[in-house]
Amino acid sequence: MKNSSNETFHLPKLERQPFEPRALKSIVLSSITILSAVFACVPLFSVLIMLIYRGGKRLSFELFYALPPTAFETGGGFGNAILGTLFMVGLAALISVPFGILAAIYLAELGKYNKVAQIARFCAKTMTGLPSILAGVFAYAAVVLIMRNYSAWAGGIALSLLMIPVVMLTAEEAIKMVPQAMKDAAFGMGCTQTQSLVKVILPVAMPGLITGVVLAVARAAGETAPLLFTALFSDYWLRVNEPTASLAVLIYNYSGMPFENQIELAWAASLILVLMVFILNIISRAIGGKKRI
Amino acid sequence: MKMKSLLQVVATGAAVALFVLPAAASEVRLTGSGASFPAPIYTTWFKQFTRANKGIQVNYQAKGSGAGIRDFMNHTVDFAASDAAMKDEEIAKVAEGVQLLPMTAGEIVLAYNLDGVKGLNLPRSVYPGIFLGKIKKWNDPAIVAANPGVTLPDEEITVVTRADSSGTTFVFTKHLCAISPDFESGPGTGKTVNWPSEAKMVKAPKNDGVTATIKQTPGAIGYIEYGFARMSKLEMASLENKEGHFVAPGLEGGQAALANAVIPENMIVWLPDPAGVDSYPMATYTWMMFYKKYDSPEKAEALRKMVIYCLDEGQKIADKAGYIPLPANVVEKVRAASANIQ
Repeated sequence: MKNSSNETFHLPKLERQPFEPRALKSIVLSSITILSAVFACVPLFSVLIMLIYRGGKRLSFELFYALPPTAFETGGGFGNAILGTLFMVGLAALISVPFGILAAIYLAELGKYNKVAQIARFCAKTMTGLPSILAGVFAYAAVVLIMRNYSAWAGGIALSLLMIPVVMLTAEEAIKMVPQAMKDAAFGMGCTQTQSLVKVILPVAMPGLITGVVLAVARAAGETAPLLFTALFSDYWLRVNEPTASLAVLIYNYSGMPFENQIELAWAASLILVLMVFILNIISRAIGGKKRI
Repeated sequence: MKMKSLLQVVATGAAVALFVLPAAASEVRLTGSGASFPAPIYTTWFKQFTRANKGIQVNYQAKGSGAGIRDFMNHTVDFAASDAAMKDEEIAKVAEGVQLLPMTAGEIVLAYNLDGVKGLNLPRSVYPGIFLGKIKKWNDPAIVAANPGVTLPDEEITVVTRADSSGTTFVFTKHLCAISPDFESGPGTGKTVNWPSEAKMVKAPKNDGVTATIKQTPGAIGYIEYGFARMSKLEMASLENKEGHFVAPGLEGGQAALANAVIPENMIVWLPDPAGVDSYPMATYTWMMFYKKYDSPEKAEALRKMVIYCLDEGQKIADKAGYIPLPANVVEKVRAASANIQ
């Protein structure tokens, strides 16, 4: 029997050397991922800086209470467009959130693998890719042509069509993420299905549900195409049965104008729209981020 | 139970929004859409009219003449506006009957973006060629010959046309067809035409879109209403008229051109190539369309009131806004015809 202690082992150095191949590879690959991460932020920040620079100049209280100016006027604001966007997005949320979450409960819990759920899931996935202008055309045919009037209702319905699939699919994911052990525990303690849904599954899934709703609201708030066909625009204050102003359409209309005053307003409106989505994001995180059961 | 509170927030938000609406049962609200050519002056008129008349609110949205006519035929608006008037087939499809009224007139100008070149002269043999794509460079011998003493750059001409269905395009192409057989046998007249692919072409929506595109594109030329070009400080070409004179766009040239027109019973008249040494060659009336029969008498009354306001008060600001005030005899004809809106 040989004594192994007499032999010399070739032991690789366990400490990392700066220029050995695997270290180099690691450095290169890590820096690529860091660069990509930074790069992904560049568009967002350049847009924000541009908006603050161009839109910030016009920021004043007048924006919030004044009506849009005509070509020959100076000053003015877009209080009616802010109100219009809030109303139509609110209406769209009112339609799509209950709808989407109830549907998601069915997809994720009650009817998981049956045909109805599969078809609904497929439809929702297809709908997320629906060009937003088609939602507008649909609402134009279904609401505007029948009511014979452009209205805030039609705008809200068009936006809700875009929100439902987003709310539904993100809510389904959020509900699926609830650990099986919790559900089992709920049943084990004698909960009915309703009780386990309302008291356990939904509260645990809440941050996910809220994220989905915020995503959908943010998308809807910025949509122009569906509103062009349904809410049109208005130079006056909100009347729900009449054509209604919205920030997105205001930006679309005024950004192409040759008149300096209206172009400035378009920049300011863009800034306000981004801020609105941003604030909503923060509020919803504050509400939804807290842990609770 | 935060979902509930989120819903509550949304619901209260919507309720507040509803609450903010002034209760307005007795108000008449009128919606119009269509031509972008007169939109700056129309929106100004309607805002002033709304301010002057408690209980009436007029909202006008510029979408292009074609979209306005479609809205009017779909009954999604109370009135519409078009620079291309309306075709007889289209009028026949509206069961309530259609009353067209010329409300103002304007000039279509060729605005361009060339550094340091002011008051360019464009002969009638030349500008159809630009829009046919036959004249491609700003220093083309034909343009140079008409502009002695002007240094023209060796730059490609970018032609800006309308992307949407447009009354401005209709009037512009009607004029080009009248003066150029090549244009008539080529693109022809219409609210949308097939522009030749030889030209370096950019399309933009509505008068404001074309104006903005010209402003942003060095070497561009495009057709827009006079007021748009003046307000955005674009250079405009002087065009050669029927009598061989170069006329710059402006009030005098436009009025001289309109003097050629006699308004017939249906209120539709075209001036594809007006006579007269002082006439600017591209002037046109622009129309509002009303139904002859409205469901609500209040609406019809408000619309008649609006027309009268535009005729009496509105014409006063026309010149300042870059439009041509209606001649006095036309004002009286329109006033009489407005009684057909019932």
